[in-house]
Amino acid sequence: MRSQKNIFALTCVMIFVMVAFMPEIASSQTVRVFVPAGSFHSVLPEVPGEPIQVDSFYLDKTAVTNEEFVSFLEENPEWRRSEIPSIFTNAGYLKQWKSDLDPGYENLGKDRPVTRVSWYAANAFCAARGGRLPTLNEWEYSAQLIDFENEKEANAFSAKLINWYSGIDANNLGAVGSSEIENEYGVEDQFGLIMEWVDDFKPLIAEDLSLDCGTVGRMNTLGSVYSYAASIRYITRMSFNAKITTGMVGFRCAYNTPAPTPESQQGESL
Amino acid sequence: MKSAISKITLIAGMILIGMSSVVSAQTKEFKLDGKTFGMPEAQIYTEDYDGPTVVGEHLTQLPNLAPLNYEGNKHHEVRIDIVVQEIEVAEGVRYQAWTFGGTVPGPVLHVREGDRITFIMKNRSDEEVTITEPSKGGSPFMNQVANNPYQKNKPGIMPMPHSMDFHAGTVAKDDKWRTVGPGETIKFDFIANYPGSYIYHCGTPSVLMHTSMGQHGVVVVSPKEGYKTGYEVDREYVIVQSEYYLTKGAGDLYTYDFEAASNNNPSHVVFNGHQTILHDQPLKANAGERVRFHVSNNGPSGTSSFHVIGGIFDRVWLEGHPFNEMRGMQTVLLGASSSATIDMIVPEEGKYILIDHEFVDAEKGATGTLKAGPRKK
Repeated sequence: MRSQKNIFALTCVMIFVMVAFMPEIASSQTVRVFVPAGSFHSVLPEVPGEPIQVDSFYLDKTAVTNEEFVSFLEENPEWRRSEIPSIFTNAGYLKQWKSDLDPGYENLGKDRPVTRVSWYAANAFCAARGGRLPTLNEWEYSAQLIDFENEKEANAFSAKLINWYSGIDANNLGAVGSSEIENEYGVEDQFGLIMEWVDDFKPLIAEDLSLDCGTVGRMNTLGSVYSYAASIRYITRMSFNAKITTGMVGFRCAYNTPAPTPESQQGESL
Repeated sequence: MKSAISKITLIAGMILIGMSSVVSAQTKEFKLDGKTFGMPEAQIYTEDYDGPTVVGEHLTQLPNLAPLNYEGNKHHEVRIDIVVQEIEVAEGVRYQAWTFGGTVPGPVLHVREGDRITFIMKNRSDEEVTITEPSKGGSPFMNQVANNPYQKNKPGIMPMPHSMDFHAGTVAKDDKWRTVGPGETIKFDFIANYPGSYIYHCGTPSVLMHTSMGQHGVVVVSPKEGYKTGYEVDREYVIVQSEYYLTKGAGDLYTYDFEAASNNNPSHVVFNGHQTILHDQPLKANAGERVRFHVSNNGPSGTSSFHVIGGIFDRVWLEGHPFNEMRGMQTVLLGASSSATIDMIVPEEGKYILIDHEFVDAEKGATGTLKAGPRKK
């Protein structure tokens, strides 16, 4: 009896805590893609013969758009450009926007990915959506799940990817879903549109990797053009800090659970 | 409720910052063989700066070299910001270059052996910065580019992390040559301990990509006692050879060609960043004059067999160091990031062609003209 009371009390506390920390759920729900568990090789040092294991998770089909970010700001005013504390961003936060809640869609487009957001803001957005930023390994694992006919095709794709990393036109980004690159489960635009924040963009090992001329060579662990392209992405991400905002970095969210159905959403709000 | 998000984010952020900050020991300054070592730790910070990209009185546009209008040693304050510019590298060939200061190669810095340089660099790759309009407080480079924008620069944006590696500096690269993200600034000191011409370049991997995209330049460190020649030269020019690896992109612009860069197969090999600039604007001299060329091969990957058609190099100082004197050379072989200071007597009125005698490079653009007038003395 007593233990039951404790459980009841504990449950009450838990619910209270959960409710207290539950951010405003963004009204628009986008498509979540189920990415099954699996393994992959990264370009970071790993134990030989032991690929990185990744549990199953859900990932936004496309990157977060300007319009979605506006909805988030409407409900979470503390993340607006005029309100956000300087510890969470540098001066460039959403700087191309007309005002706090107006990106100026004629220039930036509703369906284009939001960029110039710090890691902190991206994190807060995903929390508000009931998710989180994907981990580095989740993002990279999903990105590698692309079917190629053969190695030649994979190498040609990777060579193009390297050229793309040298010439992302931050002033003229396409709409989400426009890259026509998708993995075998339907996650779109991991390449060809923007670079994306991940939760642990600067993994602990980053400090041990000397970033110099030889790094790309040392990261050539996969023995393929793909690993060359991946090393540029890893190195670029590792060179950021959480306050940085740039015109080519946006994000998408990951989740441990599928998107709530309309009924369950209603249940939550009751 | 809302502040709860911030708290969680803050804690996560603090952990992240904690992970990324490294405490490194500071070396005390010391002297050895008359050279100074042990520079204070570099600083990385953010600043609101939006002024000229290049600041300091001894920075110039190629092929010019600023005169050293001071005695002894000087403490220079130098700024070279990183900006993205759409530039022309050959007729009809334009690409979004990653630049130091706004041009490829970046500005020439001229100092004297033993000078101290306090260097500031803001990564402005995420800002559109116009460099072709006259600016106040900028270096001579800024006005020279405004008057003669031979790369037809237009501002661009391509936010990437970058860094600066001065071959003229003797420092620990994990401190001074650190990478800064868009919007960040790095500041550090170095002493020009050794005389000669030294390249500088971005050292952020892929270094091949960053340097091919245009991030390189040269520092000329004049020897304390000069070159022991017994004569004064009449003219000095700086010539930088470098390669581009470009392919036609989807629109009008060209883009980086990874495969060409990997296979050492440049699309263009050029002097001073443009395929025809040294023909469009020939270097000038008169018969009987002594001309000094500071020649640097900035690569990133090729060699240069530098020759002047119709001339013989009277004296050559390999790497520009006065001890490395050679006489009577027809061609100077320069590896990637290697230089020479070359004195040549101009024989008679007429045209002399500067050329990389590796003809595959010459045919890709590595040629220029020295136009000589009649003898005046």
